Amino acid sequence: MLVQGVMMSHVALGVLGIMFAVALFVDVLNVNEGNIERIKKLSLAVAVLIVLAYVIGGYWYVVYYGHDRDIIKAGQWPWAHNFFMEVKEHIFFAMLLLSIYLPIAVYGNVPLTEKPKRSLVLGVSALIVLFGFLMEGAGGIISKGVTMGLMGR
Amino acid sequence: MKNTPMEKYTAGFGLSLVVTSLLNVVILIIKEKNDSVMSAMKAALGHHWTTHGAIVIIVFLLLGFIFSGMKIETKLDSGKMLKYIIWAVIISCVIISGFFLPNLKFAGVMKY
Repeated sequence: MLVQGVMMSHVALGVLGIMFAVALFVDVLNVNEGNIERIKKLSLAVAVLIVLAYVIGGYWYVVYYGHDRDIIKAGQWPWAHNFFMEVKEHIFFAMLLLSIYLPIAVYGNVPLTEKPKRSLVLGVSALIVLFGFLMEGAGGIISKGVTMGLMGR
Repeated sequence: MKNTPMEKYTAGFGLSLVVTSLLNVVILIIKEKNDSVMSAMKAALGHHWTTHGAIVIIVFLLLGFIFSGMKIETKLDSGKMLKYIIWAVIISCVIISGFFLPNLKFAGVMKY
């Protein structure tokens, strides 16, 4: 149960991070004096959520994933690990750095009145959302790889 | 986009993000191609991925503060920085995916 809880919290934190990045993107598109404080809080929230997803997901990966990896590699979808997990675990670092950079870009560019500064924040948050979807999709394929491995037994 | 001066930490950590994203790929290729590096990374913090992550985060923070003190905000603007960041993460994403692409060679015969 603890193992499942750790995994579910990793996924939930990642999804929340993506949703907050989408909210920040929309807020920056409609930036005004009334939503500047919310943009700042959202940028911090994205960073905290993605860092927590990294720490908790990393703990699960290092401590528990070995068992699942063996099932996947012995099953019908070994590439769920050999490609998707390998790619996911390394591309994630780019998303992590983007998420840590987001509040730095927001706090350094408020009140976001100039278009290039706004574009920088929009670009970084859009990349976080895109990478987030990539991570979620890869995670789904990896968990399906475990199912395929178990079905073949 | 018109050239607007950047805040020093936005410029410093932005450039650090560019460099560290590419360094991430370099570390990946070196550790996957060199068994002694992989073993050393496993020995350092118990798992190669843990060590990899620690290196990436520490380098990002260190370079961020170093670049922030180098007045690079006078040479860069937000438009250029966004282009550098987008290209760095796209290049790293393509190289990482391409590196593991041969592992997909049996995906075409998947059964369900």
